[in-house]
Amino acid sequence: MPVAISKEEIQAVYPQVARVIAEALARDPAEVRLSSRLFADLEAESIDLLDMVFRLEREFKIQIPRGRIVEDARGDLPQAQFETAGVLTEAGLARLREYLSEVPAQSFRPHMNLADVPTLFTVETMCKMVIRAMRAGGA
Amino acid sequence: MLGDSGLSGKSVIVTGGSRGIGRAIVQAFAAEGAAVTFLYRADRAAADEVAAQIQACGQSAFGEQADVRDPAACAAVVERTVARHGRIDVLVNNSAVIRDNLLPWLEPADVGAVLETNVTGVFNITRAVVPHMITQRSGKIVNISSVAAEMAGRGQTNYAASKGAVNAFTKALAVELAPRKITVNAVAPGLIETTMSKPIRDAAGEQALARILLRRYGQPIEVAYAVVFLASRFADYITGQIIYVDGGFKME
Repeated sequence: MPVAISKEEIQAVYPQVARVIAEALARDPAEVRLSSRLFADLEAESIDLLDMVFRLEREFKIQIPRGRIVEDARGDLPQAQFETAGVLTEAGLARLREYLSEVPAQSFRPHMNLADVPTLFTVETMCKMVIRAMRAGGA
Repeated sequence: MLGDSGLSGKSVIVTGGSRGIGRAIVQAFAAEGAAVTFLYRADRAAADEVAAQIQACGQSAFGEQADVRDPAACAAVVERTVARHGRIDVLVNNSAVIRDNLLPWLEPADVGAVLETNVTGVFNITRAVVPHMITQRSGKIVNISSVAAEMAGRGQTNYAASKGAVNAFTKALAVELAPRKITVNAVAPGLIETTMSKPIRDAAGEQALARILLRRYGQPIEVAYAVVFLASRFADYITGQIIYVDGGFKME
């Protein structure tokens, strides 16, 4: 199991991550809170998510492989038990809920499309993404 | 009357820049005051000549030896360009090869070579450039297609398919990048006086000229003008278009 991410670690990267997200969305940094949902609250589109990832990679000198969050959430669960034809199974959804613990439980809908997973992301999700990438880079 | 194209000081990448249409495109952007980085695959002497000529006029051009079929080489050139100029404002996907033959005589290698350079090459360099344009919130991409995509001659199935793909790529990418105000267009040249089109022009002769409304072959610079226009501020409201520079090919 991966090492848990502490509140302190998140707080350490949060100001920088929030600034980068605000830049990518051309928004006031004050609007970007740790619990803000990227799509629902900050009105991000998919291209904005790409923009954030590119900026975070440069800012933190890290690599964020595409689809990393979903891969990590799946863990040792076989692909076929995680999703069928791009739709998350019940077990898959449970894994995702556990992995994206910062996302409010009611946001997870049964039979969610894998492609819609990024719509769940919050600013904290991006902080965790950065921390994991930094750990992977330092390993 | 229209004044400044807005290209002065802009960072421009052109693939296949040492010869033919690509060379004219590099020269035209340099003349507009842009800082041009051009890729060439093999012809070092030709590339050096282009860069030296342009630098002698007090303009900026820099040759990078790289094969667009190699994604890592494309990424490296793009990173070096960003290191030099801080950004990439314009990408011109120009490099292309031709391996004409009637379909039964086309070897798999002839099909592969054409699709890898003309299509996969466009993906490779564009994938490396687009993240920078997205974060910049600006950029212009111009792909060089061909009239062959719509009106191919005999023996051009591979080349026509590759350029049809470029047209489709152009329109699809225009959709994807529009939220960031990045425009994506293509220029489709007809028969232009280059080394690459010489065998076709020689073989077709008068017959080819008869298909061109203006009754002459085009010059590389005439294609370059359209490319520069699409990359300029004059074309801010144009995206997803294929502009034909073909002298009115087969309109009669």
